[in-house]
Amino acid sequence: MTTQTWTGPVRTLTALTVTAVFILPVYLVLANTFKPGTEIFAHPGTLPLHPTLDNIRNVTGRTDHLFWAGLLNSVQVTALSVVFSTMLSAMLAHYLVRTKTRGARFIAVLILAGLMIPSAVTLQPITEVLGQLHLMGTVLGLVLVNVAANLPFGALLFMGFIKNIPLDLEEAAALDGAGPLRTFWSIVFPLLRPAAASVLIFAAVSVWNDFITPLIVLGPANGSTVTVGMYRQISEHVSDFGAVFAFMVLSTIPILILFLFFQRYFVKGLLGGATKG
Amino acid sequence: MQGVKNHDRPTAAGLRGPFGSVKRARPPIGASRPVAAKRRREGGTYRFLVFALPGMAVYVGLVLVPMVMAIGTSTTDRNGFRPATHFVGLRNYGDLFSDPAYLLTLRNTLILTAIVTIVPNVLGLAIAQLLDRRGWAFNAMRAVFFVPVVLSSVVVSVIWETIITDDGLLNRVLRGLGVAHPPGWLSDPGIALYSVASIMCWQMLGLCVVIYLAGLQGVPQELMEAAAIDGASPVARFRAVTWPMIAPAVTICTVLLMIGGFKAYDQVKVMTNGGPGIGTTTTLAFDVVVTGIDGAHIGYGAAKATLLLVLIAAVSFAALRLLRRREVEL
Repeated sequence: MTTQTWTGPVRTLTALTVTAVFILPVYLVLANTFKPGTEIFAHPGTLPLHPTLDNIRNVTGRTDHLFWAGLLNSVQVTALSVVFSTMLSAMLAHYLVRTKTRGARFIAVLILAGLMIPSAVTLQPITEVLGQLHLMGTVLGLVLVNVAANLPFGALLFMGFIKNIPLDLEEAAALDGAGPLRTFWSIVFPLLRPAAASVLIFAAVSVWNDFITPLIVLGPANGSTVTVGMYRQISEHVSDFGAVFAFMVLSTIPILILFLFFQRYFVKGLLGGATKG
Repeated sequence: MQGVKNHDRPTAAGLRGPFGSVKRARPPIGASRPVAAKRRREGGTYRFLVFALPGMAVYVGLVLVPMVMAIGTSTTDRNGFRPATHFVGLRNYGDLFSDPAYLLTLRNTLILTAIVTIVPNVLGLAIAQLLDRRGWAFNAMRAVFFVPVVLSSVVVSVIWETIITDDGLLNRVLRGLGVAHPPGWLSDPGIALYSVASIMCWQMLGLCVVIYLAGLQGVPQELMEAAAIDGASPVARFRAVTWPMIAPAVTICTVLLMIGGFKAYDQVKVMTNGGPGIGTTTTLAFDVVVTGIDGAHIGYGAAKATLLLVLIAAVSFAALRLLRRREVEL
């Protein structure tokens, strides 16, 4: 096969076929969200023949507020976790780059090692630590666990960026009378904005989609996030596919919108984070 | 005082530095500036330590301490329903390797991780090559591959569960095509593990396509053209130009996929809960959580957790060493 034909319609057609097959499951969810239950069973593959919002209403109108309560929790937990993990990892990275003692280097190694620790390993002891602090079953407890989990990746990304910021800039600011806090937040941090965007979108996607940590830390009594809520929805109503699909669509929209805004930084983070280490 | 740079320039630490000299005796007045300059340049500054403390406190409290606790507990016979706990040394580890249930879990995880590391890597690179073209159609198709990256594993598992469950869409289509007894993708103990692995592959494939596309953008077009003019075939161009240029992307994908395979929990929990039958789809991470949370065998569960940690660390360290060497040779 010559390069000429391969760049032409054959390639486009192959690409289209592969893409269509790949995304078929997502299409099925979208199409069936807007179908009445009988139609989902009879014609699962078609576009909605009798479009309806009943499935959406069934989810948003649940009397136990599984969706709305979960959404509120998810938004709270994600926003707080993202803000704190971005801020704390930026400050930590700054210390680790600018301080060239053996102690700082040791701390850097400890923190980067955290990239490999799966949450399953530390989950049981974490419930004990949170229990001691009386934070088990609280949003604050969950936020702290998330911040700790996202800190290594954030620190790694920020360290790569901070290395490229000339020290003279900070010295000049200090010379002009800015304290360390002011130097960091008004001189250094604005230069880290691209890295901060990467850290933010990474933390947001991982926290929003996290299943096991909220499942265990929040527990059944104190509500759930949308991701855990969906698990509860399927364990109750396996047969109501329409509601399950609608729940999926509704719980994905917020993070999808955020993702679309930060898509570029997500890819940069993926590549930068893993190559600069 | 050799190696002091910029000693003629007054530095920030020489003038202020509230935390700059907490731990050290003040140098003599005349020497203060060069010493301070050296300290600012070459380390020893405590100026920013206060910034690092909140992050470090959270990390120590909720990652390092729990990790050390898990390792410590793994040497005991701790049981949530029995008050007395005894030190048992490495007995839990010995028990693990003679526990057929654990060996099955280990085997499941290795199979799953092998599939999840290889399949999305190969397919991802092929699809990225296919989509690496300009034009709105290709842009749109590239965007499609982003979608599973944003979906939670729970969503992905539920989507696929509705498709491949016994009366799901897939089997209805198969029956329509004349297959009398289509397989029980999630209910047949011999197949379920491969179904779970395939679904993880689908989810990870999006991520790999995205990473490889970004990697391919970094391949200089001049190099490809030069090779083409020199008469290199597409295969030769891929081997001589593209493959070495995307070495970092290969490293990232492989390590991410491997760690993802070893961490597999969500998909198992949602789709099979470790079954069908006894432990046919139980993975190491799933097993750790089940044993750790049920409360009866905390010591034994901690040994499983520690072993998983060691396994992930060893494998990702080895993979990084191996793949990085290829990057350096470039």
